[in-house]
Amino acid sequence: MKNFQIIRALSSRTAVTNISKEKEAMFIAGGTNLVDLMKKNVVAPDKLIDINGLDLKKIEFLKGKVSIGALAKNSQVAEDATIKEKHPLLSLALAAGASQQIRHMATVGGNMLQKTRCSYYYNTDMPCNKRTPKSGCGAIGGSNRMHAVFGASDSCIAVHPSDMCIALAALDAQVLVEGPKGKRQIKFTDFHRLPGNTPEKDNNLEAKELITAIEIPDHNFTKNIHYLKVRDRTSYAFALVSVAAALDLKNNVIKDVRLAMGGVAHKPWRLTEAEEFLKGKTVSEEIFRQAGDLAMKGARTYGGNDFKITLGANTITEALIIAASK
Amino acid sequence: MSKTSNINRVDGFAKVTGAATYSAEYKTPGVVYGCLVGSTIAKGRIKSIDTKKAEWAPGVLAVITHLNVDKPSGYQKAKDKRNFGQPLQIFKDDSVLYYDQPIALVIADTFERMQYAASLIKADYFKEEHSTDLQKAADKEKKIDTEKGNDYHRGEHDGYKNAEVVFEAEYTIPTEVHNPMELANIIAKWDGNKPTLYTKSQGVEGTRRSVAGVFDVPVEDVSVFSEYLGGAFGMGLHTWPYEIAALMGAKKLNRPVKLVLHREQMFTNVGFRPFTIQKMGLGATKAGKLTGLTHEAVAMTSSYEDFMEGTVNMSRFIYDCANVSTRYRIVPLDTCTPIWMRGPGEATGSFALECAMDEMAYKLNLDPIEFRKLNYAEKDQEQNKPWSSKYLLECYEGGMERIGWKNRKNEPGSVKEGNWLVGYGMGTGTFGCYRSPTSVKAKFLQDGNLVLQCSVNDMGPGTATMMTAIGAEITRLPAENVIVEMGKSGLPKGPTQGGSATTSSVGSAVHDACNLLVSKVLELATQNPVFKGIAITDLTFANGLIAAKNNNSKSIALTSLLTANKLDGLEVENLSKAAEEAKKYSIYSFSVHFVKVLVNPNLGKIRLAHVVSCADIGTVINQKTSAGQMFGGAVGGIGMGLMEALEIDHRFGRPINNNFADYHVPVHADIEKQEVFFVNKKDPISNPMGTKGLGETALVGMAPAIANAVFNATGKRIRDLPITLDKIIETIKV
Amino acid sequence: MASKKNNPKEVTENDSNSRRDFIKKSGLFTALAFTPPSLVMASENKWDEKIAEYLETVPLSIEVNGKKHNLNIEPRTTLLDLLREQLQLTGTKKGCDHGQCGACTVHVNGTRILSCLTLASMQQNAQVTTIEGLSNGKKLHPMQEAFIKHDGFQCGYCTPGQIMSGIACIKEGHANSREEIREYMSGNICRCGAYHNIVDAITEVKEGGKEL
Repeated sequence: MKNFQIIRALSSRTAVTNISKEKEAMFIAGGTNLVDLMKKNVVAPDKLIDINGLDLKKIEFLKGKVSIGALAKNSQVAEDATIKEKHPLLSLALAAGASQQIRHMATVGGNMLQKTRCSYYYNTDMPCNKRTPKSGCGAIGGSNRMHAVFGASDSCIAVHPSDMCIALAALDAQVLVEGPKGKRQIKFTDFHRLPGNTPEKDNNLEAKELITAIEIPDHNFTKNIHYLKVRDRTSYAFALVSVAAALDLKNNVIKDVRLAMGGVAHKPWRLTEAEEFLKGKTVSEEIFRQAGDLAMKGARTYGGNDFKITLGANTITEALIIAASK
Repeated sequence: MSKTSNINRVDGFAKVTGAATYSAEYKTPGVVYGCLVGSTIAKGRIKSIDTKKAEWAPGVLAVITHLNVDKPSGYQKAKDKRNFGQPLQIFKDDSVLYYDQPIALVIADTFERMQYAASLIKADYFKEEHSTDLQKAADKEKKIDTEKGNDYHRGEHDGYKNAEVVFEAEYTIPTEVHNPMELANIIAKWDGNKPTLYTKSQGVEGTRRSVAGVFDVPVEDVSVFSEYLGGAFGMGLHTWPYEIAALMGAKKLNRPVKLVLHREQMFTNVGFRPFTIQKMGLGATKAGKLTGLTHEAVAMTSSYEDFMEGTVNMSRFIYDCANVSTRYRIVPLDTCTPIWMRGPGEATGSFALECAMDEMAYKLNLDPIEFRKLNYAEKDQEQNKPWSSKYLLECYEGGMERIGWKNRKNEPGSVKEGNWLVGYGMGTGTFGCYRSPTSVKAKFLQDGNLVLQCSVNDMGPGTATMMTAIGAEITRLPAENVIVEMGKSGLPKGPTQGGSATTSSVGSAVHDACNLLVSKVLELATQNPVFKGIAITDLTFANGLIAAKNNNSKSIALTSLLTANKLDGLEVENLSKAAEEAKKYSIYSFSVHFVKVLVNPNLGKIRLAHVVSCADIGTVINQKTSAGQMFGGAVGGIGMGLMEALEIDHRFGRPINNNFADYHVPVHADIEKQEVFFVNKKDPISNPMGTKGLGETALVGMAPAIANAVFNATGKRIRDLPITLDKIIETIKV
Repeated sequence: MASKKNNPKEVTENDSNSRRDFIKKSGLFTALAFTPPSLVMASENKWDEKIAEYLETVPLSIEVNGKKHNLNIEPRTTLLDLLREQLQLTGTKKGCDHGQCGACTVHVNGTRILSCLTLASMQQNAQVTTIEGLSNGKKLHPMQEAFIKHDGFQCGYCTPGQIMSGIACIKEGHANSREEIREYMSGNICRCGAYHNIVDAITEVKEGGKEL
């Protein structure tokens, strides 16, 4: 790892100001992904701005929404009693990610910014357009068991690895950011982006912008919810496929539904077509199965991940069945 | 072994307090940090290597490559290039024989500076076409001309083909990597021409010999410390190039060099269980008598060293069968040399054999255990010898009862628990009982404590604890009065730890040395006035007290006896060997793993709801540590069965999941309910304690047990390990 | 800290390959306005490295197992490497160095974290507890005793991490069933496969109800 300077930011304003002056500076919070990337020489900042001292750790239940500070730890959010009660889907998704030690370190903002787990990205002597633009995509024609089936491009078929973000996408969260040009809000589902010809860009955060909080509007998805993560071992592994399913049921009729998927795209993949299909229908395994099949329409696979079409549909169905039975 | 049969690990205190010193943890004044830089191609030659930037980086003390290395004199003397035991000669020339082969050693004054400097090394190559895919290269198989690798035939060649019922199938296991938790690591230093290694070795004496050979120094001048190993599972059976590199660096700088491999390098530079393709042919009568069995295996090795293991051996003797053929071939590929990984070839072979037995049983409409019992081998037909002891049937019975085998239905997919498909499966394991000549010194100190010394080391099974238990038993001392010194050179010579032979070898040597020491004590006692006129056979020795059998008032403490004779101790050093008698018998441990799986066919999820591991390992010296070893072997087998596979991108000839996030091994949540059952009956032949060995057989048979249970649950037969969820989904179209 | 670093990228292929010559071109020493003779002297006496060492470090106050340390460290030093290589506290283990195994688990301000992914420079005034800080001489922590009693290890290398994690698992309230323990201990890999016995040990300590 290259040596670097580290400075402790005192406010989000000074943090943003400070980073604006530097070419190769980065914010660091939990560090669970960034330190790893630095060890692998995937990124090599000259300066780190340690934002852990900023007052962005609070979980505040406001009128009509909850605001979660970007520096709130993953475990803190997952285990917050009111989050468990009002946003159980988020709590479940967070608890499914990484290990408890990592959840104690990782922040909400950092979780959103974590890089793909694509092996080609992490190995600097392999081609990867995301790491080294125009070097090619190693995963296409290579090992792509973990890779995308939706929204990929000829440049990149990597997937976004977060669990938390899948729940946030389902819950219509908003991302609050602060940058040199001031503060703004981004719809969570617009925060991450598809690779296109610029896979080096994971999200629509502008240069030097800092995530300060996420907000989730209040909703009725407090009972019939499930986060189903399918992976190669029972715990401490990234998702092959995951599904965040939330149902608002009345007399077994689906009043409202949210469905989002992880492990299938460069961003959390909201299943709006399947949601529309389910709205107003009566709960049944058959309906859920149809929703699963519908959701996987248009999926494109790359050899190693062919199984994700069947697995994806089955996971959606299973998640909905479990959610409905709660 | 009654009183000592459940003692806690004697090194437990050191291990739970962080005080246990693993190789890279020896406090060494003036130590500097080394790191290996690997090639980024799988085959070719180094065109140029730019070390300038690294040399100029702060704190860098040396950069060694093939261009500036002082080649150790042993390199020239090395002969017959492809013999196993002659690993890659690091920095010998510009050739690149596998991906991540070390091409430079960077040494700096701090860990961080060393790491950074290493990232500055860049090389250009003349690339050559590489071959890393066994499935594509299998037709280039190499005929092995050694006794071990020779074809074996009993009865008619491939006699299975003429049977009433014939079954044939092909099975593959991928490359699996040992990945002990402790990284391969060493501190190397020189005192003049005498090297010292604090290293991760399973064999102190073997490492001494290898190093002596490479640097052309007398074996006695090589010191090796390997007192604690953070696991090894076979990877410590070779002296690897990283150890030689550290010694080169230390020699050049005349300073101690610490070198710890990265986890990524653990996948590329220190061996693995080789990718193996196996073909099984079984023939039986309709009633279920095996009449023919053919087992063929093609495995990978490196381009520069022939590695072989006993993949097909089990098929020659485990079942009663008149016509048996086995063939074993290896194919050189552009990788590092494989090395025995726990269970070694037997684990690979048992996957094919025990799956095929299960498949044949189903074809014959027989319960798989019934089928095995019908073909129970009353003697070893391969060697034409009687078994020294064999309690395999007891293992079957013990496991069937504990797992609830009676709930199993022979028809797959017919048992359910809620939405889960339930399956039961079993797999048999076996491993030979070996005993190497071993020296142990047993010594009573003036304070009455017993010291046991042997250069053998302990990678985790509890060797020191075993030595303590046996020493305490023979000398009738409390275990807390026994002190074990081991894991370093300069002690009486012990064997390499491997092949489940440690207890048989070292335990026997402790047994013999302690018996001799007790005799020596008693002999000395007979000369003491207290026991005047009392024969040696009428004396007892227990708890440090020598007493007359028939007269309690006549006794003397060992400490007093030593003082009276002006001795500061009493010792015996003895070399122990297997008895000639043992050669008349076939001595094997046996194990049977039973699993109950729950399968969610929609998600491909396999849960191991219950695992029962049974073994006939002769006498159980220590129930606690043996159970631990058996639990652990089972977990290793679960990794093999369900998740472990080194994935290679053959376009580049390099692994792509060489890290602990992508190469999955079992975690806590994967292990639900585990039980262990030992028959615990003494083997009359193997050694004085009657043990037969446990470490390897603890893993052998688990992977097929899982595959068989998955078949029983789902009706789908997965013949290619590991059984990942995508294979279940692909085979079960819901 | 404000100095420009000794950045090797500035070097071109045409530069002399003598390392001692290199420092003349180094931004670091230009900034310090050394005259050429003093530069040569600096390099001959290896002052260049000593100065670099000084300029590239940051002060750190950290308490480890109740002992206060005032150090100067490089910002890139991880807490794990600080413990093992500089403070000689080798009880905390390096298993993967990438947050993938849990062997380096320590408590920072009472919370279990991975020391390999923690920059020491970000732990100003932190209170760190490692495996060495649990026992008091021969008096073991209840979790250490339970690990010995239940044989919760073989090679012992993952053990410090398992023990630190096990204690935290109970304190966090995640040890209410064997299933919950297994899930919340899954960040600690044991390659010897002592999982069954580790869960026994944690269960016993949890049921023992002692203050941890």
